[in-house]
Amino acid sequence: MWARASAGVLPGFFLAAALVGLGCWLPPGAWQSTIVVGLLAFFPVWIGVICAAFRFPSGKRAWGWLSVLALLGLSLLWLLQLSGWVR
Amino acid sequence: MKLKPATLRTFTNLHSWVGLVAGFALFVAFYAGAITVFQPDVQRWANPQVMPSTATLADAQQLLDEVLAQHPEAREHVGMTFPGYELAQPMAYWQDSDGTWLFASPGHTAGSTAAPGVAPLPELINELHYALGIPQVGTWLMGVVSLLYGVALVSGFVIHLPRLAKDLFALRPGRNLKRFWQDTHNVIGVLSLPFHVMFAVTGAALCLLLVAMLALNPLIYEGKLMVASAAAMNTAPTVAKAGVAAPLAPLAAWHARSIAVAREHGDAAFQPGYLKLAHAGDAHAVVEITGSSPHALGGGSVALDAVSGEVLATQLPGSRDANHATLAAAYALHFADYGGAAVRWLYFLLGLGGAFLFYSGNLLWIESRRKRRQAEQGRAQLGMARATVGICIGVCVAISAAFVAAQLLPMRGWDVVAGQRWVCFVSWALCALWAARRAPVKAARELLWLAAIVTALVPVAHGIATGWWLWRSAAAGHGALFAIDAGALAMAFAFASLARAVARRARRDQPNSVWSSTAA
Repeated sequence: MWARASAGVLPGFFLAAALVGLGCWLPPGAWQSTIVVGLLAFFPVWIGVICAAFRFPSGKRAWGWLSVLALLGLSLLWLLQLSGWVR
Repeated sequence: MKLKPATLRTFTNLHSWVGLVAGFALFVAFYAGAITVFQPDVQRWANPQVMPSTATLADAQQLLDEVLAQHPEAREHVGMTFPGYELAQPMAYWQDSDGTWLFASPGHTAGSTAAPGVAPLPELINELHYALGIPQVGTWLMGVVSLLYGVALVSGFVIHLPRLAKDLFALRPGRNLKRFWQDTHNVIGVLSLPFHVMFAVTGAALCLLLVAMLALNPLIYEGKLMVASAAAMNTAPTVAKAGVAAPLAPLAAWHARSIAVAREHGDAAFQPGYLKLAHAGDAHAVVEITGSSPHALGGGSVALDAVSGEVLATQLPGSRDANHATLAAAYALHFADYGGAAVRWLYFLLGLGGAFLFYSGNLLWIESRRKRRQAEQGRAQLGMARATVGICIGVCVAISAAFVAAQLLPMRGWDVVAGQRWVCFVSWALCALWAARRAPVKAARELLWLAAIVTALVPVAHGIATGWWLWRSAAAGHGALFAIDAGALAMAFAFASLARAVARRARRDQPNSVWSSTAA
């Protein structure tokens, strides 16, 4: 239980950040107009990821998957931001 | 929807864990939160000044002028509530050079750390609500509690979903107490779910927004969040000083202009509440007036050039951008700042219902671990029973004691701010200690009777201290004074009824339970 919980809280935090980030930057329009919605939405998204961590059969799987997804998500976001493909 | 047994077990464990860890804090948050819905009425009830009449804009103008003349830091940035917004008198507030907030009101313009003429009782209840009364770290703690709460809601929903349709309104009182607690827990949980989701999210945001912003700034906002957030959350643009002196336009002019501008934007019922003034005395002084509209979700703001009265920016219902609309809506939803008295009463009931949810959750945990075939119960279950009784009923006693203290302390000239905190926390601790030494069912009965007595003393203390006995307030038409006293009597009656129900249960005595009168 604890392993999956920590997976949800720690790498899960970064995954939630990536999801919110992509949600703020991908849609058309300036990212500044999504600031409040994004910040508010961050909390339920993180809570959702924490709960989803418990669907994994073990702590190791949860850590593994959530870390990889977080890295992928953040990398995608940074790539999009750096390349100027999103505003 | 079918749930695998392993998943059900996992989520049930998760729900129990976060519920137990966060449950006590949530009980306090919901019970204090319910009372804090009526903060303005509690303020009027606790204020020793006898019904001050609402001040005028001229009084507010004088206050502003005096504060600006006497305090240089206020000229950088000062806030002020208009007369009638929560308090009858206007209240000015600003930060001095080391960041301490100072307050001033008409006749008290020297600047003090405690708002002059304001009774401290509502603020104590508020602090219990958002920080458990713990200074500095309490707010962060409650932010974490809100997150745990969110996890409890999702997990509770997941485990309940398969039986949702069948069990929704099943309420099966009877000998199987566990099923009864479970049914009431579920019914209240399901019916109030949308509100609880809103409270969990807005509560987490209110406590942790700054932390979240600091963490997310480099991660997803390329470090640009802090600068951009000013425009996202304020109305007035950030303007540099001109370095040229210019006199401020009269307050009454700003007040009237904001109402006119709001009307132009389709908001005919805009009521200015408070203002924020930057660079007072400079040619680039800016004033931002925030107000409420009865038919909108959340207040709007008008930003004016404080010298010329020219409109600089507006964020009004119907013409707000997404950021401001969301922020205003989130605030309004959390603080019941919409829909009038009916919504406030709804939130009050939701608050009490929510407190019951966490209390019953603990009881459920105890019942499901009952050793039915022996008298001696597990130490964890016994400890949980004692803690639930002592902490939860204890905070009810403590808050009522604070109400009594708020009336009686000023009679002896004692410091109310410190005194009511002492009374509150000491009585809470004593209740918890009492419960730790007694059989849980006896402690429950005794503490409920104590809560009934102390709460019944609230209108008595009020009458003794101010002469505004229940019936006099009703006759004179002072709604707030009557409502708090009458509400306290109703709560006292409720505590007494619960005490009798517990006594009945003790007499029926289920021998193999933590609730047996011989449990030790």
